[in-house]
Amino acid sequence: MAQCTLKPDMEFVRELQAAGGETLKKCYQCATCSVACPISPANNPYPRKEMVWASWGLKDKLRTDIDLWLCHNCGNCADLCPRGARPADLMGAARNMVYKELTEPAVVGKWMSSPKGLPVLFAIPAVLWLVIWWIRAGFNGGQWFPRAADGRIVFGQIFYGDYTIDPIFMITFFGACFILYKGVRKLFGMFKPEGKLLVIGKTKPWYMHLYDVIVEEIITHKKFSECGADKSDRKIGHMAVFYSFVILAIVTAIVAGGHWVGKVIPWLKVETPMPLTYPIKVLANVGALALLYGLGSLTLRRRKLNPKYQASSFYDWYLLGIIWAVALSGVLSQVFRLMDAVKPAFCVYYLHLVFVWMLFAYLPWSKLGHFVYRTAALVYVRMYGRS
Amino acid sequence: MATKIGVYFDQQNIGGGLDVQALADGVSKKWGDFAPVVKVYPVLANAEADIQADIEAQGLDGVLVCGCSPRYDWNLYQFPGIQVERVNLREQCVLAYKNPDGSAAPAGAAPELLVAMAQDYVNMGVVKLQKSTLPEGAAVEGVKRVLVLGGGWTGLHAALEVAKTGYEVVIVEKSATMGGHVQNIPTATPLSAPWTEPQESGLEAKIAQVKSNKLITIYTSSTIARLEGQPGEFTATIATAKGEEQVQVGAVVLSTGWTPLAGKYLEPMGYGKLPGVVTAGEFGKMLREGKMDAKRVAFVLDTTLAEEAAKAQAAAAAEAAAEEKPEAAAPAEGEAETPAFVKQDLESIKHLGYSNSVSGVAALRLANAVCDKFDGAQVFILYKDMVVQGLLERYYKHAQNRLGIMMTKADVTDIARSGDALKVSCANTLLGMDFDVEVDMVVLPTGIVPTTAKDAVVQFAYRQGPDFPDLDLFDGFTDSNYICFPYETRRTGVYAAGCVRQPMTMDACAEDAAGAALKAIQCIEAATRGVAVHPRSGDLSYPIFNFVRCTQCKRCTEECPFGALDDDEKGTPKPNPARCRRCGTCFGACPERVISFANYNIDQIGSMIREVVVPKDFQTEGPRILILACENDAYPALDMAAMRRKSWSPYARVIPVRCLGSVNAIWVSDAMSKGFDGVMLLGCKYGDDYQCHFVKGSEICNRRKENIAETLNRLGVQPERVEQLEVAIDEYDKVPDMIDGFVARIVDMGPNPFKGM
Repeated sequence: MAQCTLKPDMEFVRELQAAGGETLKKCYQCATCSVACPISPANNPYPRKEMVWASWGLKDKLRTDIDLWLCHNCGNCADLCPRGARPADLMGAARNMVYKELTEPAVVGKWMSSPKGLPVLFAIPAVLWLVIWWIRAGFNGGQWFPRAADGRIVFGQIFYGDYTIDPIFMITFFGACFILYKGVRKLFGMFKPEGKLLVIGKTKPWYMHLYDVIVEEIITHKKFSECGADKSDRKIGHMAVFYSFVILAIVTAIVAGGHWVGKVIPWLKVETPMPLTYPIKVLANVGALALLYGLGSLTLRRRKLNPKYQASSFYDWYLLGIIWAVALSGVLSQVFRLMDAVKPAFCVYYLHLVFVWMLFAYLPWSKLGHFVYRTAALVYVRMYGRS
Repeated sequence: MATKIGVYFDQQNIGGGLDVQALADGVSKKWGDFAPVVKVYPVLANAEADIQADIEAQGLDGVLVCGCSPRYDWNLYQFPGIQVERVNLREQCVLAYKNPDGSAAPAGAAPELLVAMAQDYVNMGVVKLQKSTLPEGAAVEGVKRVLVLGGGWTGLHAALEVAKTGYEVVIVEKSATMGGHVQNIPTATPLSAPWTEPQESGLEAKIAQVKSNKLITIYTSSTIARLEGQPGEFTATIATAKGEEQVQVGAVVLSTGWTPLAGKYLEPMGYGKLPGVVTAGEFGKMLREGKMDAKRVAFVLDTTLAEEAAKAQAAAAAEAAAEEKPEAAAPAEGEAETPAFVKQDLESIKHLGYSNSVSGVAALRLANAVCDKFDGAQVFILYKDMVVQGLLERYYKHAQNRLGIMMTKADVTDIARSGDALKVSCANTLLGMDFDVEVDMVVLPTGIVPTTAKDAVVQFAYRQGPDFPDLDLFDGFTDSNYICFPYETRRTGVYAAGCVRQPMTMDACAEDAAGAALKAIQCIEAATRGVAVHPRSGDLSYPIFNFVRCTQCKRCTEECPFGALDDDEKGTPKPNPARCRRCGTCFGACPERVISFANYNIDQIGSMIREVVVPKDFQTEGPRILILACENDAYPALDMAAMRRKSWSPYARVIPVRCLGSVNAIWVSDAMSKGFDGVMLLGCKYGDDYQCHFVKGSEICNRRKENIAETLNRLGVQPERVEQLEVAIDEYDKVPDMIDGFVARIVDMGPNPFKGM
């Protein structure tokens, strides 16, 4: 049988090194990492094999590797690596490469891969929302910082939900969903081994597996616990951020739903801005506090990492940074609004919109993509009898 | 011969309930005027001044210290011009004692058997002194000049090291230029900290340094035609282009290096058949000359393909030889007298494997060079075992970090042509799959074949022939028999360094050169003082021949493990004391007992044997067993066993010997006629993987034992009464059982028929 001929891609190795895996060449294949990993399967463990594929520039092997997504990045492997090759970072870097190249337009992935692309990424929503501000200022008699008739600050005067925020975010949201859907399809195609795969025994449809994944793993953050008890601050931090996203999503859904449904069924109408004691508002602020707590804890954890074992790539800092920006700008715009500081309030709210848009629009190319791709991988392995 | 001795008992180091005063009184009574001073001290170490006073007052010429083993307190009791002997009453008498039934000695007064044993040991000590004289040494003039054979990397370093000490150096280099194989190396492996970056070898500077040194004389295009004499006064005959020239030298550093393994061994890997398949040596040369333009290179360190082919070939050859067995060519009568020396070619596929640790580093070095040359280079290192010695581990790690260098353990199953490229097939790799790689060039390791595998490079004018003995044990490498003495060869005064000794990297060669240079100087100094250089460093004694009784049987000249003895046409031995290592194998061999050392001789040990009181009644008083123990390994093992509270039969008496090779058959006869029931020869393991300090001693002893057995048979004594047992120095836990087992076998056999006669 003809064997495959390896075609090492040195450029890929360079890119991996740039994406957070700069120490990957140090690996001498002792497999301590695979032994140290609490969640790696016994029969085909990771991340040793990923290390050698990376070192040899085997791009296809690494890109199509489902194990990248099963890794939850606890860093046990990196702590025990005798050569300081930081396998956890390599796994992260390989995931970053997937974010970068999986979905079109690839140019966004390129911008997203280094701080150099940041100005462009920022400029797109900044211009978009500035144009809207300018147009709406025209509607408000040329006033860039208008007040409502009763003197309150109402952001909706400028960033009017019906015609600006809602349509733009709808398009953004569904666009991102579509891109992610395409990404997941592509990912499933890559995971699929050569030849035919036969699953023996009872099979379930994918959505049942998705339900299992969500109930058994995501809600409980089970894998985080399996990664090791000493990493509990990571689990709590991640859970806080995760649930704050869930809460804020619910709030957004209620507000948007209340707005649009309220147009038909008036008693379901939700007015914004809401009073501070309004239950939905309370929930939103609880979510914001949870987000701040989670972010603080995750950021501190990253700051405390010993660079000998684990480092943080641009992808890590971008995600933390953009969520920080969203959270702070969100909280501050509320604070300024309540303080009745009209100019800062509008400016910060404007920034908030820019950051939120960045968070969602660039999601498929950013580290936040993991919530879709990892979930997809977890579903995939369950579909084929691995867990 | 000591004429008047003092006997001193060190009470604190005896114990065991022995009545030391009674022992002392016994000595006075038995030895009378020969031992005018017999004293007991509670702590003898404090009484050195007293002993010195006794020596002066009584005119003593010998001191016998009875206490602990001579292996302890060895720095005490040294009196200039006085012979000092030690009796080991602590370890091998009191501590080793147990009752014949195996129970421990009762507390309180010493049992009778222990007292008898102590008396025997003390009396043996007295006799030993009585039969011993102070050695004087056989000093030679000592030419302060070292011959360095081979002017390569190692030779250059050795020459400079020697010259640094003020000694003269003569370098003899076979080729027209100095520098050897390093001339073909593009860059050297790291030679100093931080051991990560390749460096320039600095060969030209080194050669210039050697050439400008006034103490160093260089002969290029020259070889050694003959080396005769002994350390301190060798005469080297150098064959130069202009004719022969003689130089006096004191010692020799052998740094003749290596030659590359013949290409035919690499043919199964495509060498010589596929263009683009070269050896590491050739690849280095191509790089150096700028002729290397391959961007994809595979270094194939797994040489299984070549090894398997060689194995199959050898098997086929053996089969063919078995089929057509030629009539054994009977040696023509008369020619057997002096068969001409024929050098056996020891080059083999094995050298490829031996070179692995150097080949690995060479691959790293050349791989780095390829990456330096081309930015997008892809270099594969396919190894079976990646061996990188010493601090070069850091170089290895550094190379691993380099983009473009890809390493994996692999079974290389095929090297073939594939279009314009070469295809290397790999199985069992770290990548978890079998795969091919396409490359422009394949580099195979260069096998290091020591020059001594091909030629007798030193050309000794020795009785035992022009070459080193038993080179086949090391497949032609002039490696040392001792792990702790790396530069030793079987020819005293010749010290091997560099790749002629073992395949090694350049940094190791330089270190080796320094070591061998210091050994050469040490050897000249020792010869000048008339002392042994190794392993009995500082021993003044040497074999003295009483030629009147010599029958020219040649046993001594043939058996000397170091070829120290030459002979004349008639076969009369010609001793070369400076070549001698003082093991006594010669006198063990001599049937006429014409050889002796001043402080170690046939009569001395024979008299000690006869001094043991052997009871007539075997049944009630037990047997007596003589143990002749090698003092290098077996004797320390016994001491250690005793120190760890192991004990053995009280019927055994231990006499240390320099080497089992020095055991003369007459001692066994002495013991048998004295009434001993058994003789145990306790020495080192022998065979190819031996550990004997004198290389051949225990092996020779074993051979002689067969002759002894024959003699015993003739006398009607069971030959099983003499047994040789092998023990290593760390086998203290086994040696008591060996003794007890032997004693049990003797008890079963019954008494020596000669007992009481």
